[in-house]
Amino acid sequence: MSTVRRLASKLLRIVIRHSSDESQDWANAMLRELDFIESDWAALLWALGSTTAIFRHCLPRGLKTWFGKLFVQQGELKNIGKQAAGVVSGAVIAVGVLAVSAFGLVRLSLFLFPTWDVGRVPWAQWLAVIAIPETIFIVAALALRRKRRSMAAGIVLSAIVLFAHFIVHVATHG
Amino acid sequence: MKLRLSPQTLEVLEAFLQSPKDWKYGYDISRNTGLKSGTLYPILMRLAERRLLETSWETVEAGKPPRHLYRLTADGLRFAREHRLSRATGRVARAALSGVKS
Repeated sequence: MSTVRRLASKLLRIVIRHSSDESQDWANAMLRELDFIESDWAALLWALGSTTAIFRHCLPRGLKTWFGKLFVQQGELKNIGKQAAGVVSGAVIAVGVLAVSAFGLVRLSLFLFPTWDVGRVPWAQWLAVIAIPETIFIVAALALRRKRRSMAAGIVLSAIVLFAHFIVHVATHG
Repeated sequence: MKLRLSPQTLEVLEAFLQSPKDWKYGYDISRNTGLKSGTLYPILMRLAERRLLETSWETVEAGKPPRHLYRLTADGLRFAREHRLSRATGRVARAALSGVKS
């Protein structure tokens, strides 16, 4: 047996030794075919391709098992993804509400009541930027807390961040 | 789970359809289709996982290592034939369309 063929055979034996139970049968099948490949280099290419195939077969399963162990239950992975999506969508909605309130209401009031000059009234700005959005956040979070808990959490998180930003702003700018 | 029907998968199915009742060796399928082991075996694995392909170890005399054999199951045969038909229909339709365009 040539060195190249020996290398091909050794590679597949290593693959068999380290592959999962369900992949082992396939790896064995690939090894058995080596004896019927005439050219040594073709045998090596066959072994390399087979190694890739087994790796591709094992990797998703290995990762699944690893994550499965990490999160105790496999179903949790899906739930975590869903929850994260819920929180993110809650935060996105909150940012949208804030933007509408901060820019939309001020612009609307300027349009509806031009004599008020809301742009120069500080309390009106605080109303549009803090009071109205925070009120909407709280009401929305309370309304969604049962059916869409993660979205409510995203909204509450945004409310906390906005309030913290307000406190920091007041503390630094007076 | 849906099976990804790549041109290579269709080629493998076609190779099985040439003599549907015969068991085939991996290397022979590779030679017939021109697919490398790294492409062929993932396809065989997916087909087997979806029970479209049955596998078996060859029974041989003592001392000689057995080889793995493959054959389409009844479901696999139906699936392969359906896709061959839809592929052929698609080809005819495309040819007809290109005829209409030109």
